[in-house]
Amino acid sequence: MKHYIKKISTYAMVGSLGAVAMIAMSGCEKKEQGQSDAFTQASQKQGAFVVIDEVAPNQYKIAEEYPAETTRVILRKLDGSEKILTKEELDALVAQEAKKIDEGRSALTNPELSSGGGLGLGEAILASAAGAIIGSWIGNKLFNNPNYQRTRQRSYKSPSAYSRSVNSFNKAKKSKSSTTRSRSGRSGFFGGSGTRSRSTFGFGG
Amino acid sequence: MVSLKKLRPLTPEFLDSIGFHWHTDTDETPYVADEAVIVTEAEAEAYYEAANELYDMFVEAGEHVVKNDLFHEIGIPFNLVDVVKKSWENDVHWHIYSRFDLSGGISGAPIKLLEFNADTPTALFETAIVQWALLKANDLNEAAQFNHVYEAIRDNFKRLVVLDGDLEDFEKYYRGWKVLFSAAKGHIEDENTTKLLQKMADDAGFHTAFAYVDEVEFSEDEGIFYEGEQYEYWFKLIPWEAIAIEESDLARILTKIIENQKAIVLNPAYTLMFQSKAMLKILWDLFPGHPLLLKTSFEPLGVKQVQKPFFGREGGSVKILNEKAEVIQSGEALYEDQPCIYQEFVKLPRDEAGNCYQAGLFFAYEGCGLGYRRGGEILGNMSKFVAHIID
Repeated sequence: MKHYIKKISTYAMVGSLGAVAMIAMSGCEKKEQGQSDAFTQASQKQGAFVVIDEVAPNQYKIAEEYPAETTRVILRKLDGSEKILTKEELDALVAQEAKKIDEGRSALTNPELSSGGGLGLGEAILASAAGAIIGSWIGNKLFNNPNYQRTRQRSYKSPSAYSRSVNSFNKAKKSKSSTTRSRSGRSGFFGGSGTRSRSTFGFGG
Repeated sequence: MVSLKKLRPLTPEFLDSIGFHWHTDTDETPYVADEAVIVTEAEAEAYYEAANELYDMFVEAGEHVVKNDLFHEIGIPFNLVDVVKKSWENDVHWHIYSRFDLSGGISGAPIKLLEFNADTPTALFETAIVQWALLKANDLNEAAQFNHVYEAIRDNFKRLVVLDGDLEDFEKYYRGWKVLFSAAKGHIEDENTTKLLQKMADDAGFHTAFAYVDEVEFSEDEGIFYEGEQYEYWFKLIPWEAIAIEESDLARILTKIIENQKAIVLNPAYTLMFQSKAMLKILWDLFPGHPLLLKTSFEPLGVKQVQKPFFGREGGSVKILNEKAEVIQSGEALYEDQPCIYQEFVKLPRDEAGNCYQAGLFFAYEGCGLGYRRGGEILGNMSKFVAHIID
């Protein structure tokens, strides 16, 4: 049989909406007032949703990341269990890593320390999009460091995870180009509004 | 006998938070069952193979219709024939996604094609997201599902740019073309299904926006605009035949826009050919006796059979007839004026309680995800969605 069915195994397979679902399921999301859902929130993306995989004992890689309303990091351990890192845990890990950077003991800035495999957990977080947000106070000593930029690329589980990430964040940042012009267009088609809640378009019988 | 696994249901609050607001039917019962159909690995594989084979057969049948000018025979409205032909000519009119409705495939019953929802299929949210979340929330192995719908459709959006080429080349060739997504106002299921598709295109790397269809501006010479911005692609979760019948001016303008190459409309107009149930008869003509097909004719068959209008939906005007063509059971009379096909009756697999199960199999370049609808012999708007688990 030439092709095997691909089954869901990563968050990429349910994409950025799966990320929203994961957070909602974990109960971490603060309840917004009013009619807020995965689609109404989509406009303001200040944070990042990051999934980090443990690839070997205490070795980590970034599996997925997407722009999100608030910053969350999910850790998938070797035994398959998952854990959402709290703000306190993230801050502590980043602070620890900052100290290592200052002392030249971080693989992020010191090429001699980078092994072929994964990164430490603090390093992986700082290499991710979440790191740029949580660790912004570390500032230039990290983000302008050429070795950091190189390590960052290598810290993703696959090249496609990296390019997907770069792509989605660039797009979130980019301001809209406007090509306004005069038109002789028509609008208002299907303007008579109904009140059906379920679709009558989709299903055959 | 269909075997089921009991699950803890997802809460209405959770479903609301992910935008799935149509979780409760009008009789106040949950739309998503708190059970999953147990499917074997081999059964899932067979569904996958069936979807791929059926799609190839539809493409062949489409070619047959275009070559022999059978548009009238399969019920294509005259004001869409040009745009159907035009879209068929060029691969840039890429078919994003569709859903096969099948009987069988489980508990030993052979897979048979009931119909093909090729233009505006729903049940997408349920299949791609909700059934995944069900496994996740029940601490079950989320990989134990034939479901890569999200990824497959995301990748198929990339193919608008790379066509049959390498998906990795998307960024190399993408020049900032924008996709506008539209649904009709006031229908939350259509709206959020459309927004889910928008998210997939977003994740693919496209610039996208959403606008209700009545807010979109159409110009024969200039293209498709929303808030002064031009869009190269317009995805509409509005059936082509509704455009033809209810807004014939729009059908005319879209034909011009496509002729003038000012925009590409998705799903492409040729998917209306696939959508027509008359294609089931064309398929039987081209592949008589094919194991995935049921005997289908424009005339009553002389066996127990199902009469279906060419463009019926949600079981509307579907009738089960006996061998003398007398009505045994019928769905709501919604499309009585449409021409019909007669399809050999096939028993849907049942569970212990006697409920019938119909498989919905999504296709986006290849078979990509399975879900079930559960109800009576004619599945209508009150039927339930049932997840599956591979065991």
